[in-house]
Amino acid sequence: MTRIPLRPLARILSARAKGENPDVIERENIRQRHEEMRDRSRAMAEGRLLLLCGAFLAVFGVVAAQMGFLAASEPAEPVSAQSGSAIVAQRADIVDREGRILATNLVTHSLYAQPPQMVDPVGSAEKLAAIFPDLDAERLKKDFTGKRKFLWVKKKISPEQMQLVHEIGDPGLLFGPREMRLYPNGAIASHVLGGASFGREGVRSAEVVGTAGVEKTFDTWLRDPANGGAPLQLSLDLTVQSTVEDVLYGGMKLMNAKAASAILMDVHTGEVVAMASLPDFDPNTRPAPLLKGNPGDSPLFNRAVQGVYELGSTFKVFAVAQALELGLVNPDTLVDTQSPMVWGKYRIRDFHNYGKQLTVSDVIVKSSNIGTAHIALMLGGERQQQFLKSLGLFDPTAVELAEAPTGRPLLPKRWSEISTMTISYGHGLSASPLHLAAAYATIANGGTRITPTLLKTDRRQEGERVISEGTSREILDMMRAVVSRGTASFGEVQGYSVGGKTGTADKAKPTGGYYKDKVIATFASVFPTTAPKYVLIVSLDEPVETSGDEPRRTAGWTAVPVGAEIIRRAAPLLGLRPELEQLSQAEVIRVRN
Amino acid sequence: MSYLEYNVKTVPSGLRKVLFVNWPLALLLAAVACLGFLMLYSVAGGRLEVWAEPQMKRFVVGMLAMFIVGFIPIWFWRNVSAVVYLGALVLLVAVELFGDVGKGAQRWLDLGPIRLQPSEMMKIALVMFLAAYYDWLDVKKVSRPLWVLIPLIFILVPTFLVLKQPDLGTAILLVAGGGIVMFAAGVSLWYFGTVLALVVALVFAVFESRGTDWQLIEDYQFKRIDTFLDPGSDPLGAGYNITQAQIALGSGGWAGKGYMQGTQSRLNFLPEKHTDFIFTTLAEEFGFVGAFSLLILYALIVGFCIFSGLTNRDRYASLLTYGIAGTFFLFFMVNMSMVTGLMPVVGVPLPLVSYGGTAMIVLLAAFGLVQSAHIHRPR
Repeated sequence: MTRIPLRPLARILSARAKGENPDVIERENIRQRHEEMRDRSRAMAEGRLLLLCGAFLAVFGVVAAQMGFLAASEPAEPVSAQSGSAIVAQRADIVDREGRILATNLVTHSLYAQPPQMVDPVGSAEKLAAIFPDLDAERLKKDFTGKRKFLWVKKKISPEQMQLVHEIGDPGLLFGPREMRLYPNGAIASHVLGGASFGREGVRSAEVVGTAGVEKTFDTWLRDPANGGAPLQLSLDLTVQSTVEDVLYGGMKLMNAKAASAILMDVHTGEVVAMASLPDFDPNTRPAPLLKGNPGDSPLFNRAVQGVYELGSTFKVFAVAQALELGLVNPDTLVDTQSPMVWGKYRIRDFHNYGKQLTVSDVIVKSSNIGTAHIALMLGGERQQQFLKSLGLFDPTAVELAEAPTGRPLLPKRWSEISTMTISYGHGLSASPLHLAAAYATIANGGTRITPTLLKTDRRQEGERVISEGTSREILDMMRAVVSRGTASFGEVQGYSVGGKTGTADKAKPTGGYYKDKVIATFASVFPTTAPKYVLIVSLDEPVETSGDEPRRTAGWTAVPVGAEIIRRAAPLLGLRPELEQLSQAEVIRVRN
Repeated sequence: MSYLEYNVKTVPSGLRKVLFVNWPLALLLAAVACLGFLMLYSVAGGRLEVWAEPQMKRFVVGMLAMFIVGFIPIWFWRNVSAVVYLGALVLLVAVELFGDVGKGAQRWLDLGPIRLQPSEMMKIALVMFLAAYYDWLDVKKVSRPLWVLIPLIFILVPTFLVLKQPDLGTAILLVAGGGIVMFAAGVSLWYFGTVLALVVALVFAVFESRGTDWQLIEDYQFKRIDTFLDPGSDPLGAGYNITQAQIALGSGGWAGKGYMQGTQSRLNFLPEKHTDFIFTTLAEEFGFVGAFSLLILYALIVGFCIFSGLTNRDRYASLLTYGIAGTFFLFFMVNMSMVTGLMPVVGVPLPLVSYGGTAMIVLLAAFGLVQSAHIHRPR
């Protein structure tokens, strides 16, 4: 350490002259200087320390205040994900009973424009119109040069289109990601799935909302993030559904029908394994509803659920079942079938004349209106209504489709005796094919009430008992006879022991009365009758079979072969083993030892 | 006045030094440490051997170190300041080259039986060195640019090494601790103003650099800042520490839930509950009253140090005392601000309370320096 001493030269010189020691003066000087320095630095240091202490105290105060504030606060558990920031996207998938995808989501982009940021609005408008032929260049030009700050150009664009728009390179043309609903199987199960469209739309995402079918019924469930992305599993089987639709389409064309529907249902669980309604549509590009004409002719119309028709002779089974259940008849009881049957001003006829009497079995097998009407008279209107109600034929089906409540059966205003008779053979009461399927399932499964469902349950329904198991067995035997030797002989499928009942109902004119040459042909079948597993309803609208000399319209010639073909192809897919015909016992050869 | 110039004979010698120890300070330190043992015992779920016992042993070693350091004359410490600083610097470089990696940072140096954290030692060594520097430097030159630049370099070199580990908390403490010594030494306020402006600019630059390839700090540090600005944005991820700590404080209320009754920390909701976040346990079990009492204890320690520094006529001794008091203040304030959500989480333990070996011993040894300055003051 070197210090430069400050020597007061004048004083030292004078001290020397006096003979004093100059070092004393120097030391005194040094001390003086040090004291000054110390005082100055102390004053400064104290000021500094005051500042420092002030700062410390301030920080101290802040921390103490924060601690007090926190101590006074009520602890709140943290909540994850601030909602409201974005529209909740990601709708759950819909899968079939095997987990195969029926509906899922696809990320696409929307295209929107912010005209204030556009460099070349006119040129961009022309190029856009070239990429999207459905856009009008003039209109775009007007929009882009006008006062609008924002406008949607396209809601969904493909990656190729996006690239082309990128290449226009206008900064005012922007893309927003959005999810859209995709139905990878196209038109298959279109009426069940329904469809979805965009709800609230934002630039960053858009809400997907179900518009029909299960998409609408389960809309909130599908959008609920609490399900953790679990898919909605339907009872449909995609392969069976596809087969049913294929065969039904072919049958509809072959039989020159204008529309058709089919339902395949498990008789024990009420699960709808396949449900088809033709004409159909592609839910990916759901057509607009018809604005005029009969909405029942729209492809969007689900004939199997919404369409209520007089289903004809298929209803005879109900009258006979009830009569058997009440013990009024047994299968061998003879019933009057004298034709024509006159009741007041009405005359009831059969398709063929069956002579004076038939057994109850043969009334079903040969489908005698007169015989059934006589049985219905034994039942009486009151008991008949009660029974049909217990089969679910008086209320809309409870199936999980948004459209189901509109499929309300049409009942006569006054349930007169003639109504009792006509309804017993399927005229005067309109119901949907799904009603019929549920009622047949109830009869075939041993007699307990079935409510149709589209959700996979794999659980026998424990419905109320409608008929006894014995009655159920007798009816099944009759239905088997209808196929083996009656009106539905084309319905035989080797190994599957098909039973069923045909129904050919004249179509009602909108003006009243019935068409002579327009029918609804229905085949309601159960298979295998030995141990019933499924019911299949096939219904054709205005079929005409023209291979013979004269056009044939009865269900036995139209709906039955279609139904048989469906069973032939779908039964293996459903995992049913064909029952081999019982071989006659091989002769035992006794060998003498 | 320099020690060369005052009469050393007035300084107590031998065992007489015991009478001149700053006993209130020593007792306060012991009180805080005992509170620490209580908390570690509670956090371990009522088991002594997990954290409390090793911590007690270290405390005894630390207290011994404090008295040994305290009984050695302060002028010895002034004369070896530069050597201590250089030694710490060498250790820091060594840690960079051969250090152990723990929790994503290279902070530990394994020296056989002892594991050393040189960055802890650096905090004290830097204060010692700067105090010696300003004692040596002519007071008139203190604010001249060249003489300001030299201590700046001595601060920034270890800071840079610590940042590389990476340990943001210690880096902040180094810069702030050095700054406090420079401030107390009387460096012109203009420099501090300029530095403050630079810091603001740097913060801005750091945010600007985000996502670019010249990004200045690590992603996890950005995340901590984000989380600090809005802890609710990610309550189960990076914001977990802060949110849970604040819940603990809130559920403690004014009087607390009672000793060993804190659920938040006992039920393992809190990570680092025995180290950086031990304050939350205290706040939950003893409430605001307990937390504020600890704050008061700390403030008293700082207060006694400043008083001791003010009454000490020796420049090195008072600067050293201020520096250590300031570093200590920063220690607990940064920790408490961090836990109460006033500051981003930077990973600074609560001095004398958090579980940790080097930190405890080094800190008590540093208070040994304060004691030495107190005992050997010019009278």
